[in-house]
Amino acid sequence: MYDNEFFVVDMSSCSSTGEIINSLSLALETLDHSGKRIILKLNDSNLNQSQLLSIQSLITSYGCILDTIETLNESTARIAENMNIATQKPIEKRVESVASDVSNDGFKQFSLNTEDNNSIALKDVNGLHFEADLDAIKNQQENIDIKSDLRQAGINPQEDFDSIEKQVISQFQNPAKNNVLEDNFINQNKVFENQQDNQEEYLDAEKNSIGVYKKAYDENDVTADDWEEVDFYETPTNEPVVSDTKSTTYINQTLRSGQILESEGNVVIIGDCHPGSEVRAIGDITVWGVLSGIAHAGYKGNKNAKVRALKMNAVQLRIANCYSRRPDGTNIPYIIRSSIFTPEEARIVDNEIMLFKINQN
Amino acid sequence: MAGSVIVITSGKGGVGKTTTSANIGTALAHMGNKVVLIDTDIGLRNLDLLLGLENRIVYTIVDVVEERCKLKQALVKDKKNPNLCLLAAAQTRDKSAVDAEQLKDICEQLKKDFDYVLVDCPAGIEQGFQNAVAGANEAIVVTTPEMSAIRDADRIIGLLESKEGVEKYRLLVNRVRPKLIKSNDMMGVDDVVEILSCDLIGVIPEDTNIITSTNKGEPVVNDEKSLAGQAYLNVARRIMGEDVPLLDIDEPKTLLDKIKKFFAKKAQG
Repeated sequence: MYDNEFFVVDMSSCSSTGEIINSLSLALETLDHSGKRIILKLNDSNLNQSQLLSIQSLITSYGCILDTIETLNESTARIAENMNIATQKPIEKRVESVASDVSNDGFKQFSLNTEDNNSIALKDVNGLHFEADLDAIKNQQENIDIKSDLRQAGINPQEDFDSIEKQVISQFQNPAKNNVLEDNFINQNKVFENQQDNQEEYLDAEKNSIGVYKKAYDENDVTADDWEEVDFYETPTNEPVVSDTKSTTYINQTLRSGQILESEGNVVIIGDCHPGSEVRAIGDITVWGVLSGIAHAGYKGNKNAKVRALKMNAVQLRIANCYSRRPDGTNIPYIIRSSIFTPEEARIVDNEIMLFKINQN
Repeated sequence: MAGSVIVITSGKGGVGKTTTSANIGTALAHMGNKVVLIDTDIGLRNLDLLLGLENRIVYTIVDVVEERCKLKQALVKDKKNPNLCLLAAAQTRDKSAVDAEQLKDICEQLKKDFDYVLVDCPAGIEQGFQNAVAGANEAIVVTTPEMSAIRDADRIIGLLESKEGVEKYRLLVNRVRPKLIKSNDMMGVDDVVEILSCDLIGVIPEDTNIITSTNKGEPVVNDEKSLAGQAYLNVARRIMGEDVPLLDIDEPKTLLDKIKKFFAKKAQG
């Protein structure tokens, strides 16, 4: 029954219709599903006919067909059958429960992390919104990552659904293999090196849009041999600076090309940072919007400084005396820039700047 | 051998100075010359975007002038062509960050290592223009077949003539549309040359590929099919001293046109 024509969209974590429609449009936008038959998984929420109709028309507008609805709710199932949509009860309960456990872990980890970093401003201002957004983001990321994750776990995504299901279950049951999955995910986040002319990798990077910042310089990039010996602004000190002891500059505007924001503490920007702008801070930088300019966190040598953004499109990221630049060809065009948000955090690991999705460490 | 410093200027904005700089620079580098492009449009830099080198810039011309880095460190190598380098302008400063003497000094230093130093001049005749022209010994004046651009070009040529050091200046007519010229809606290239009484270095046809290439960050000379790209290659050859005839920029003739022409000739003969 399952083959390449079908695409399973799991919306069982969404409770309201608005949430379902929001997550569904995100999921359909991120990958090319045209012509696919959609199998929509819902929880036991009670949907009436007009709500189902709007979901169906949304799917049709993306060039897909709503084939099957999987729901626990009797009345939803009845209405769907009246609309000539096949219904079924959830079957693979076991996988679902494992998967939801994992994502819950990710969620907990995230909230723990914010406490670690003591980014009080972020939590105070937007804590509520952030939690509300997380479900949508999580759903979207699951959809993007599922194929690449499967591939990395040694499963061919082209195989039929039953065998994939078996393999996934066995991997989740086997803790050792589960670690492999996680390791693979971290590897995926790692900075890619020596990929300058590999167009395919760039394309992949564009799809995942994470973790592809490379070191600022290859030997080929700059004519000077001794660039590393020169300090950019001041001599970095290696003393760890705890960012929560610093004052936080809170800015509620868009940084435009040519504008510099410099701070002795942390910076929180509610708005976008356009290309050509520059943010420098001794502490952390948090951008509640699209970061497209240059960000230099910990510019006096604090290697624990971090850069966070709702959407990371920075031309260059600098932390302490580490530099990284955006790979060629991964500039997110202006038109689609506000439609998808994957909050990311950049920090130094082994003297290289690496990107992490903010809710999956 | 000391290279030559060529400033690309126009007076009026939006006629294609930066596009011309990027394309001529790339074309010259393709032909095996060592080329460095200097963006002097401090505060409104664009040349890095056209070359697709935006993400590699760490040091700028202002850092060089204020001695935060060495000149060599600020040169960004092109992605494809190792012969081509860019000295970028700072985005977060303005034209007063650099003065004419300093730019002259930079040009003198670069001349030693490179065959061609191309200086992309900002619009206007103020400090930015004075800086850009300071070190140049050749100039390319870019204009379009419009009265406003021609008048500004005339002013620029006047200023260049009074400048010491600029030995040679030549005219590049950009964004020419043969169809409009035929229907007498646009000034012809000959008219432009006559008004400005200046040597011609090239004629670039209007080309929609320019828009896509600008967005992609790849100069149009890399595209063999593009007519504008061919025209820029020819300009580069002329800079190198070759004698290249002007490109036939007329749109491809239809069979009907050819037949008409044939009969017209017969009638005359």
